[in-house]
Amino acid sequence: MTMSRQGVQPTEVIDRAAKLRFRWNGKRFSGFEGDTIASALAASGEQIFSRSMKYHRPRGILTADYWDPNLMVQVGDDPNVRAGHRLLESGMDVRSQNAWPSLNRDIKAANSLLGRFLTPGFYYKTFMRPRWLWPTYERVLATFAPGGKIDLDTSHAYHDKRYTHPDVVVAGAGPAGIEAALAASSAGASVMLVSHEHSVGGHLRYSSDAADQAALVELRTALDASDVEVLTDSTVTGRYEDNWLGIVQRNHPIAVERLIKARAKTLVAAPGLIERPYVFEGNDRPGVITSGAARRLVNLWGVKPGERAVVFSANAEGDAAVADLERVGTEIAAVIDGRTGGHISSTRGSSRAVDAVVADGASIDADLLVVAAGWTAPTSLLNMAGDRPVYDPAAARFFPSDPPSNVLATGGLAGDADLDGLRQHGAATGRLAAARAAAVRHRLQARTARALPVEGDEPAWAPDERAPLGRDPHPELYRADTHGMVDMSEDISSKDLVAAAHEGYDSVELAKRYTTATMGPSQGKLETVNTVAAIAEARGETISEVGTTVWRPPYAPLTLGALAGRMFEPVRVSSIHPWHEANNVSVIQAGQWLRPDHYGDPAAEVRNVRRNVGLIDVTPLGKLDLRGPDVPKLLSLLYVNKWMRLGIGRVRYGMMCAEDGVVLDDGVTGRLGEDHYMMSTTSSGAGGVWEWVENWLQTERPDWQVHVTPVTTAYASINVAGPKSRELMGRVCEGVDLDAEAFPYMTVRQATVAGVAGCFMWRIGFTGELSFELHVPAGHGLHVWEALMDAGSDLGVAPFGLEGQRIMRLEKGHFIVGQDTDGLTLGPSTGLGSLIKLDKDDFAGKPELAWAADRSLPMVVAIQPDDPGVVPQEAAQIVRGDTNEILGRITSSRYSPTLNRSICLGQVEPDLAAGGTKVTVLLESGERIGATVIDHHAHFDPAGERLRG
Amino acid sequence: MAESASPQGPAFESPVVRSYPASRAGDLTLSDESAVTKWLVRAGTEGPTADLLDAPFGTSRAAADGALVLGSRPGEWIILGTSAEVAAAVAGLDGLEEQEFCSALDWTHGRAMFRVTGTSAARMLEKVCGLDWSDHMTPDGAVVSASVALVTCDIARNDRDGVRSYLIFCDRSFGQYLFDALIDAGNEFGLSVAAASHSHSAD
Amino acid sequence: MLLVPCPNCGPRNSTDLRYGGESHARPDPNTASPSEWRAYLYLRDNPAGWLRENWYCASGCRRWFSIERNTATNEFRDPPLPGDKRGGAA
Repeated sequence: MTMSRQGVQPTEVIDRAAKLRFRWNGKRFSGFEGDTIASALAASGEQIFSRSMKYHRPRGILTADYWDPNLMVQVGDDPNVRAGHRLLESGMDVRSQNAWPSLNRDIKAANSLLGRFLTPGFYYKTFMRPRWLWPTYERVLATFAPGGKIDLDTSHAYHDKRYTHPDVVVAGAGPAGIEAALAASSAGASVMLVSHEHSVGGHLRYSSDAADQAALVELRTALDASDVEVLTDSTVTGRYEDNWLGIVQRNHPIAVERLIKARAKTLVAAPGLIERPYVFEGNDRPGVITSGAARRLVNLWGVKPGERAVVFSANAEGDAAVADLERVGTEIAAVIDGRTGGHISSTRGSSRAVDAVVADGASIDADLLVVAAGWTAPTSLLNMAGDRPVYDPAAARFFPSDPPSNVLATGGLAGDADLDGLRQHGAATGRLAAARAAAVRHRLQARTARALPVEGDEPAWAPDERAPLGRDPHPELYRADTHGMVDMSEDISSKDLVAAAHEGYDSVELAKRYTTATMGPSQGKLETVNTVAAIAEARGETISEVGTTVWRPPYAPLTLGALAGRMFEPVRVSSIHPWHEANNVSVIQAGQWLRPDHYGDPAAEVRNVRRNVGLIDVTPLGKLDLRGPDVPKLLSLLYVNKWMRLGIGRVRYGMMCAEDGVVLDDGVTGRLGEDHYMMSTTSSGAGGVWEWVENWLQTERPDWQVHVTPVTTAYASINVAGPKSRELMGRVCEGVDLDAEAFPYMTVRQATVAGVAGCFMWRIGFTGELSFELHVPAGHGLHVWEALMDAGSDLGVAPFGLEGQRIMRLEKGHFIVGQDTDGLTLGPSTGLGSLIKLDKDDFAGKPELAWAADRSLPMVVAIQPDDPGVVPQEAAQIVRGDTNEILGRITSSRYSPTLNRSICLGQVEPDLAAGGTKVTVLLESGERIGATVIDHHAHFDPAGERLRG
Repeated sequence: MAESASPQGPAFESPVVRSYPASRAGDLTLSDESAVTKWLVRAGTEGPTADLLDAPFGTSRAAADGALVLGSRPGEWIILGTSAEVAAAVAGLDGLEEQEFCSALDWTHGRAMFRVTGTSAARMLEKVCGLDWSDHMTPDGAVVSASVALVTCDIARNDRDGVRSYLIFCDRSFGQYLFDALIDAGNEFGLSVAAASHSHSAD
Repeated sequence: MLLVPCPNCGPRNSTDLRYGGESHARPDPNTASPSEWRAYLYLRDNPAGWLRENWYCASGCRRWFSIERNTATNEFRDPPLPGDKRGGAA
């Protein structure tokens, strides 16, 4: 078979004035604008496009469209490109896949000789034992794996995303789909018409019939004049709950692919029919093509598919192919009519080309066999909507059964008619879709507070009064009297399926998984029904009895890039962040926050805080503004300790536990006014605590008068820490007495700082130093930070980051929720059990904490390695002696620049929690070191004299 | 809602700190309005406060004194404007606490606010938000909360001279991220960054 | 994606909400036995059929509500009850 370009066809889509040059396996080729990669190669006489996956058999064009399993190629760094669909572009570097060292000399074609080892379940059977050989098997098998090459250095292309809420989405742009879109649009619906192909028109595009061409022009003209949004080269890939649709748009000008998430009020499924290959000996030999492939090659691209053809036709499409072939000069050696008992048995020839076709018992010399054996209804979208299509043996295909009433089928999927009949059914479907969409729209508007008010009652759900389409009789042609390939993507033959059925894998779902039939890039569109037919034959049953596999999303394979869409990765920064960036900061991402980790030397930052004064930006610290007379009751309910008598200007530490008694969060809350409190939470807990508070107020205590507002980022928060912090604060604060007596530890004051009114500050200290935690209206945070840096230059003021703070809090033995506690750490395990007031009437987690009160629990303790120079890894295990019995773990570990030794927090079994207990820590290296539990959490200044100063 | 700069106190620092090249082609504009005064009022969904503010959840209303009142959540209102306009709008709330439990706080520093204006503004929002921006579901004056580029935002449709326009609010700390995400979404429509239409007193 | 009918916002994508699980009443913490408390914490009916459950409209109105849903068909039984998440199992 040699294909070649012929004279201009009236229906062709190529621009012969626009020549495009490209490379195919390194050699120069050319085609025209409008060609697919495959049509350009075919026009240049190429016959072999790929090697099959398992046996590495040469493969040529089969269907010449998106579904063609033999036309997977690599384009540049883009693997698995469908050459039957992708339009040719100038300069493309196209290469074949699955061929080594070359398409024409493929060493792995030896697999064909080893066919008996590649029987179904081959991988399961052969590589199971001995298990120790699996790594070797895996390495060898990997070199045989199908598909193109992935370039790990490929830059990330821009993938776009869009949400949309059309009234009607029409999937498929053949004549019925276009009519449905037009009718729905005329009825006032917003309509999106999605065409899998590069242009609308469906099968009319490659019909040489004059009436078909006139209809195509008419439909396209009407579409251009309508409000219908037309997406070409786009696929509705999935239908999910409540008509949520995934649509991949492959040709958007600003992105290589755009994923559209559409909430359609009604969905019209109009995908048309897909021509089904026929199974016989030699059916995968290059030169065997479907009738649709022949018609597309001739009519769209002016390519003559072969010199001398046998046409096996069981329907009008096959008959039309005969006429198309004759028009471009292909000699018709024979037409075998499948409707009247004519049959083909096999092809003969080399592995690379057909020489002859055995049909009706005779061998006919030919280089081309065109097969029109019937249709597969791609019911995928209906399956995804919950429908279970039913097989009709008289028409030899599946039909919709009972899809939900917001999913409507039309076109070939729904039945058969002449062109006018299909168009009428499409238009009626569009009107029905619009009427039902109007009812959905009415309901949505009526129930949505912000929407335009609607008048009147919701329209009745429009009844389906469409005249049903007929069903043309078609012979059931699945397999000839010989065996051949069923799944060309996966190299599965009918013999393999029969063997699988005889081994007991005789349900389609089992046989599919056992043999991998239908699991390749064609995703069952070509091979599912032939697979079912082979199983049915082996079981001696009908296709209806065997049933089919359930088609799941995606309708067509899609790239991971399309699914990922644009990468939204929200980050938060404080208003002081520009200063950090200008001052040599090393940033750490903590949750969504970008935070200063350190400014070069965290140990020096620690020493400066202990000696002079340091500033840390703690804006991410959660802050909830609480107002109302019932705030004390709320605090008493959510914290384990007591809150009913907190005086104005006072601050108290609190621990929160969940209802299971596990530590949820901790922080301080201050009383700013009579009914006004400010709660602080951990940085990571800010969002969760807010929802926790709302949950209690809305659902358990709806009668309480409390208003909660998250103000975390309304304030820039700066901790000013160190022995010189009071002096520094005195230089910038107005309206507040900073004296130790006037503003003692654990109190809160409001002040004007560096000219900024509305600041508040509390005297607390995570670092263990005298410190002022200052909260500044965020729009002045940078100003105040700079004012502090300026005012304290002679005091040695310097910034410190999260790492320095972590070291200092560890020196002080303050645990961090989520680091030193985990999802099983009950309140008393923190060592703060005395905070838990079981005599309160109620608080979150009370029953569990009451239960825990009489029990020994694992405890958070401070631990010091005996060798002060060894810093154990966090999560290093604490074990019993030389055994591997786990008794606890290190939860925090650092080298203390203040104490010049390693210091840790850890969780240990109850009997190891007493001060002075010797424990063994198993390091990552396997080495065991001795360490000692100390009798209080603070490694440094356990009396807390520095911070109260 | 324009106002002269405040005579005292340091200038307001916007969460949007990067600078952007001057206008490109296209009628879609994005501006940073974070400096606008914003108050948050809480009270019952029905009662004297709700009656006074007269903007039920999902709707908005231009107050006589120039402020914009958004019914942002059931029993929650955001009031926008210059500090004088907002002060005038909330003045009527004084004394209502005698009649019902209500509260008001200045949220100016807590929320970034951006305005997107142009005929393609809805198409732009479709790229970052899953809500239906059609006129029947989100008409002029509508107020809604939703995730925009994975950040929870309050959004108010507030058309300008008959042209689609949206106010978008988020936590201040997300401001720079969201501003950039909106620019990215608007690129295909020729979005340009415009100067703020409001100034603000640093209070 | 499921549309969840929020009583305040109208139908919203389920990703706009946080699923709060089966509605169940909180026992009196002062009288509940440990096993009753743990049943409240951990045990759920998980029926295939109608179930009253809680949702939090996290991206929308930030209100909790409870509503009946058929776990087998994903139908919702209107109207949802704003604020009430106790409700008791349907």
